[in-house]
Formats: sequence, C-alpha cells, structure tokens
Amino acid sequence: MIEFREVDKAFGQKVVLKRVSLVVEKGEVRFIIGSSGAGKSVLVKHLVGLLRPDGGRIFLDDEEVTELTEQQYYRVRKKCAMVFQNSTLFDSMTLVENVALPLRKHRHLKQKEAEAEAMGFLEKVQMDRLAGRYPADIGDGLRKRVAIARALTMDPEYVIFDEPTTGLDPLAAANVDRLIRELSDVFGKTSVVVSHDLRSIFTVADRIAMLYKGEVLLDGTPKEFRGTSNGIVRQFIEGRPDGPFEFPRIHGA
Amino acid sequence: MSSLAPTPATAEPQKRAKRPIPRQSKANRPLLYPLAAFRRGATLFLETLLWCIKPGALKRRRRQILEQLFVIGNKSVVFITVTLGVLGLISVFQVLVQVERILPDFSMIGPAFIQIMTREFAPTMAGLMIATRVGSGIAAEIGSMVVTEQVDALRMCNADPVDYLVMPRFVASVIQTTLLSIYGCVIGVASGFIAAGLFWNIPAGTFFNLQLVAYGDVVSGLMKAVAYGMAVPIVAAQAGLETSGGSEGVGTATTRAVVNASFSVVVLDFLLSGFSFLFLSKGPM
Repeated sequence: MIEFREVDKAFGQKVVLKRVSLVVEKGEVRFIIGSSGAGKSVLVKHLVGLLRPDGGRIFLDDEEVTELTEQQYYRVRKKCAMVFQNSTLFDSMTLVENVALPLRKHRHLKQKEAEAEAMGFLEKVQMDRLAGRYPADIGDGLRKRVAIARALTMDPEYVIFDEPTTGLDPLAAANVDRLIRELSDVFGKTSVVVSHDLRSIFTVADRIAMLYKGEVLLDGTPKEFRGTSNGIVRQFIEGRPDGPFEFPRIHGA
Repeated sequence: MSSLAPTPATAEPQKRAKRPIPRQSKANRPLLYPLAAFRRGATLFLETLLWCIKPGALKRRRRQILEQLFVIGNKSVVFITVTLGVLGLISVFQVLVQVERILPDFSMIGPAFIQIMTREFAPTMAGLMIATRVGSGIAAEIGSMVVTEQVDALRMCNADPVDYLVMPRFVASVIQTTLLSIYGCVIGVASGFIAAGLFWNIPAGTFFNLQLVAYGDVVSGLMKAVAYGMAVPIVAAQAGLETSGGSEGVGTATTRAVVNASFSVVVLDFLLSGFSFLFLSKGPM
C-alpha cells in the first residue's frame, strides 16, 4: 500500500501541493486526475524520491520513505517502476540497450545477459523485432511500449504511469489502457496512473482522486465520480469549457 | 489505518491542519542564492571526484570519455587556433609599436611574450573559449535531458546522473583544456613571431628565447589549465542539472552556464596567479 500523508510541495513561491493525503491499495488501478499543472506528476514523483516534499510523510508498504537517501531510494525504485510521460528512452542507446539498462544497474547483470533478458520483455510488448533500432526511428506509441517494457524489467510491485496515453492515437492509447488493466488483473500489480484522458479514466480506473489547486478535491470510484454533485468535478469530467473550474495561472503571469 | 480511508465522493476539499503552507525556502532568497549555488557546485565537484577515483570507473565510462574528448577537444581546435593566433599576432604588434618609441632594443620582447603566454594568456584564453563553447554545450545537453525527464529516468534505472553525465565530461575537459592550452601557447607564440619577424625583422633566434621562462611559469600555466578544465564542466553541468521550465529553461541554463563558467575562469585566474606569485619558484628552467 502507498500512502501520502499531508504532503506539501512548493517550487519557489509557487505552491503546488497543499497537505495532500492519498492512499493507494494493493492491486488496484488508481487514477490521479486534474488539469495540467495541478500537481499530479509532482505528487507521484515524491514516492520514488525524484522530488522531496517540503512537509508531510510518504509510506510504502508501511515503511516511511520520506527521508531516504538517494542510494536508499534505489530499493524503492526497484519496487515502484515509473513510465514517464515522454517515454524518456535514451537516444544514444538501442531499444534493447534501453530495456537492459535497469537490469545492468539494479541486478548488476553483464551486458549480454541483460540484453538477452531484455529481449524477453520486448517480446511481451511485441517490440522484439525492432530491438536493434534507436528510439528516434520509431513512433510515440511504440516508444511508450518500450518504456513499459523497461519499467517491468525489475518485476515491480507498483507501476507509476505519468500520462501514458497523452499524444497517442486512439488505438495505441487503447492498447496501453488494456496493458495497464492486465497488469492489475493478471499479474496483480498496483498501478498509479496520472492522466487527464477521460476515456481511460472511466474504462480502466478502480478508484480516482482529483487534484485541484494543489488539494484533493474528490476521492472515489468511477461511479461516485459520475454521480457527484460537485460542479468543478462535473465540469472536468464532462469536458465543458464554462463553469466554476478555475484554470491554473501560469507562474509569474 | 481507518483515518486513511478515502475521502467520500461528496466531500469538499480536505480540511486544513494547523501546519502553515511552506512559501519560500531560504535557498531561494536572492542574497543567499550565490552562496547556496556555490555550495551545490562544490558538492557536485566532490561527487564527480569520487566517481572518478572509484575503481574501474574510467574503464567503465571509456566510450563516453572518448566521445567527450572528441566533442570538447577536436571540435575546439579551430576555435583555439584562430583566437590564440590572432591574440598573439595583435599583442606582439601592439607591444612593439609602443616599445619602439622608448627602447632601441627588441631582444627581450620574445622572451617576455613567451613568459606571459605560458603563465597567463594561453591557459586563460583557452579556458575562456572552452567556457563559452563547451560550457554552453554541456548545459544545453544536460538541460534538455532534465526537461524531457531523461535524467529522472536514469535515476529510476539506478544510474547516477553524475556518474553517467558529469564524470565523462569532467575527465575529458581536464585532459583537453590542458592539451589545448599547450597547443594555444605554441600557436600564440608562433603567430607573435610572425608579427615580430614580418614587421620588425626580429630574428627567430632572438624571439624564441626561453631565458625568462621559469619552472614556476610552466607550473602556473599548467595549474590554471587543469583548474579551468575542472571548473567549466562542473559549473555548466550544475546549470544543466538545475534546469526547469521546458525549452525556455534550457536557454536560461545555457546562458547561466556561460556566464558562471567565464566568471569562474576569471576568479580562478586571480587566485592562482596570486598563489604562483607567492609560492612558486622564479628560477630559470
């Protein structure tokens, strides 16, 4: 189980998270939604130590991870893999080298052993035929698949997806959604998905939390979201431009 | 864990506790910013040194170091040749124009020029050129990796960005700044002789005279080259690693890298010149 307890975060004078508390139960697909700049990605990056909170505490399987050192976080990162918004494959490495990197660094495998194992993961996402290509040679959807393969190499218990379907065509997005659902249903993994893709939210999520102005506005099931009387949530999930929803101001504007 | 239950679907935003919301960390206060930046730079420098001396580190990063040796060194050769060549030519020409008015003898122009080139001009001009060309490149490259989350992805793969990105550039920069300073010195002196020989008919035997060059001058020049070679990649990498705010942030980081790296070269020049003057031998070679 993941628990964020009253987490605060500010960048300079811009306050991004205000005492955010959130629980992610094991095995569920937990969506964190909100408009761009609401602090969704910032929140999940705290779990794996890519950002440090200004206040509050973070727990992973009842162990506090808030104050760990960078080295101690490596253990957490083995347990919680992350698929980034831009796939973030390393341009100078082939696809198989990209997937082999965590195997070399976390499990200290030799290059050849790591690449042999990486091929298995590429096969799972149907990318083994393109293993020798470079990220620049393939499209966004395929890059996302490779990024998912890389995230799964360490057999993580938790997988964090940061806007996994943004920029993908509908079919590629549906494939990614299915993969996320399978990770939970077939492999028992817990997924935390940062998204504002309304189609994904209601087809894949077990539970949803909506961040608004750095706070959790609503936390519930898709059914509860559909039935809510909260005007801001309704406007967001219905995708209406007019209503009580205040769009975040650009910092400094 | 009952208190951790999810907020009901109809709930309003979570109630505020008494703890105040943090507004601004001390490090962001303008007066403390240079000190905080210096502290972070010093930490990055120590981390990089630790990665360099780890057993097998240089062998493991051999490929990246070789790439950076090419990027930092070979691609700067023309730049250094033109800059130091023109500097040598103009310096000797201007000095001879002035000296001609007050002294009848030009025999000490060559030795004095070689001395100042060795201990001052060659390493410092090479350092400044590398600060602009290489510093901006390092900051832009690492900054782009930061804004596209590639650095975060490295950390998720248990790969330290200092080991992967900073250490190879640091090692290559130290080697190439030293070599380019020596090369720049040769080019500067040679082009200085062109001005002296062509316009004042000073013979090569008179110009290329090392009688004023002491061991201390050579050590001072090499010490400066190594120091600039260390400072430039660290300052630039720090600017790159602290990039925020998309492509605009990369531009800002690049500018900051060039300004800070050039500034660090000037400050190091001042400190090392003072050190050399006080402590290094002035005896002849």
